[in-house]
Order: sequence, then structure tokens, then C-alpha cells
Amino acid sequence: MTTAALNRSLGAQSVQRPNTVAVGTIVWLGSEVMFFAGLFAIYFTLKSTSPELWAEQTAKLNVPFATLITIILVLSSVTCQFGVFAAERMQVRRTGKLFDMRKWGMTEWFFLTYSMGAVFVTGQVFEYATLVSEHVSLSSDSYGSAFYITTGFHGLHVAGGLIAFLLVLGRGFAVKNFGHKEATSAIVVSYYWHFVDVVWIGLFLIIYVLK
Amino acid sequence: MNANVKLYWILTVFFLLLSGLYTVWSLLDASHQRVEWVGTIALLLSGLLFLLIGFYLSKVHAAQGGELAEDRLDANIEDGDAEQGHYSPWSWWPIVLAGAASLVFLGVAIGAWIAFIGGGILVVSLVGWTYEYYRGYFAR
Repeated sequence: MTTAALNRSLGAQSVQRPNTVAVGTIVWLGSEVMFFAGLFAIYFTLKSTSPELWAEQTAKLNVPFATLITIILVLSSVTCQFGVFAAERMQVRRTGKLFDMRKWGMTEWFFLTYSMGAVFVTGQVFEYATLVSEHVSLSSDSYGSAFYITTGFHGLHVAGGLIAFLLVLGRGFAVKNFGHKEATSAIVVSYYWHFVDVVWIGLFLIIYVLK
Repeated sequence: MNANVKLYWILTVFFLLLSGLYTVWSLLDASHQRVEWVGTIALLLSGLLFLLIGFYLSKVHAAQGGELAEDRLDANIEDGDAEQGHYSPWSWWPIVLAGAASLVFLGVAIGAWIAFIGGGILVVSLVGWTYEYYRGYFAR
């Protein structure tokens, strides 16, 4: 006769399991770090091979305008985090008046974040149009290629984040009982948004401050 | 999880050190004598990659209040039977999404008009997948 001793291990039940969606998102953002590493490598290599071109072309950049849209994007990370705090207390919608921000829910904060992100992308489009009129284009020279590929891929990431915000907002409207699953999708979108924000701070310092 | 966190810290330090070493080496090398940016940045951001995941896992580990069953030598199978998260039993949406993405890239390669059709299906599949468990019989 065979017997198997089942020694019930104590304490295992009380452990809070890690959220697989959140951990998976962070690991994926790690791969995004390496994607942007490639873009930074392109920029620095081209810059080191043609310093005169960089001196000439970076003079055309509108640094005050870029600073303005950078501040808007950084502040959108703050409003996004307030939306996450609301989602974590399972509050989808506001409980007070429209302009009483202390009583805002996830929906109001995320709509504000969305607007600020959209202003950033619009500002980037305006900046691109101005630069093209000054003969800096994707195919004009290596500076144009480096500038548009780095900031362009970042802009696509911001646009993707905006779509993600819409999907999370839609979940807030679609669900009957806002629970941990919905809060998780709000939290992972905020991780992505903060990541894209940090990447932009890096790009801003390299392209507009360091030149 | 604690062992994973420590591995990530070790890799962080390793890649950050290597990035500095690589930069100094390319500066000292007689045939180069300037910073080789591709390697420096790739190694530096590899370090940041491990820092990001290591930092996050250390926070997760601190918040879970004990070791997971899979990290314990004395655990039984049923100790890990707590809720694992939401897993869809089956779904057609990933296949639709993959097909739509294929159409977009096919369109980029052979004719833009296909990309527009693919883009439309892409939107439908993205919305369909996100809201699969929010409508119909499965509405939460």
C-alpha cells in the first residue's frame, strides 16, 4: 500500500499573488526600452558622423514651443496618475460637480489626460509642418531622418496610448460593476503612459537641450 | 520571486558597468579614439531594462506579504490554487487582429488600398477583443 503525506504548508494561502497583467506589461515595456535604445543609437551615431549638419539644422528647432508641449505631456502623466488613484478606489465617475476636481472619478481624469496627450500630438504635427517648410524633411538629410524617426516613433507611441485610453474609458462605461480587472487595465495603461513620458524627457534633453 | 529580483539587480549592475567600460575602451583604443555610440547606448539601456523590471518585481515581492507557493520547497500543488487572474477559455479575436495586421503590412508592401481595408478590420478586432467579456452572454 502506498501513502502520500500531504503536509499542508502554513501561510501559503495568505500570499497576495502578483498581477500577471501588470508584471507582463512591465516586461513588455522593458522590450520597448530596447526599441528606443535602437533609435537613440541611430541619433547619436549620425550626430557624431556629421556635427556640422547638426549645428546647422538644430538652429531651426523651436525650443520654447517644444518646451511648452513637453510640459503639457509631463503634466498629463500627473493627471493620469490621479485617474489611477480613482480607479484603485473603484470610482469610475465623479461624485460632485463637473469642475470639482477633488471628486473626479477615473473617467474625468482620463478624459483630461487624453486631451493633454492630444494637444501634444497636435503640437508635434505643427512643429513637423514648420520644419518641413524650412526644408528639414525625412529624406532631406541624415539630421531630418534621425529627427523624424526618433520623435515620430515616439509620437506613434503617444497616439497608441491615446487609443488605449479610449478603450479603458469605454470599459468604464460598458461594465456594470467596476472591479479589479477594470482597475488593472487602467493601471497598465498608466504604466505605458508614464513610460512614454519618460522616453520623451530623454528625447527632449537629447534633441532640444543637448542639440 | 526574491531570487528573480536579485538576478535582475546583478544584471543591472553588470550592464551599467559594462557600458562605462565599453565607452572608456572605445576612447582609449588607438584606432577609434571616440565614443562608439551604438554599443554604449545598447549596454546602458540594457542596464535600464533590468533596472525597470527588477525595481518593479521588488515592489511586487514586497507587496505580496510572503513567498509564493512556487517559491517554497515545502509547498503542495493545492497551495497555488488561489485565483490566478482572468483567462479567456477561447477567443477568435487574436486571429482576426493578426489577420488585420497582416493585411496592413501586405498593403504597405504591394498596394496602399489593402492597408486601408486592413486598418478597418484592425479597429474592429481591437474593439472586439477589448470588449469580448463586456457584452452579450459574458457581460460583467
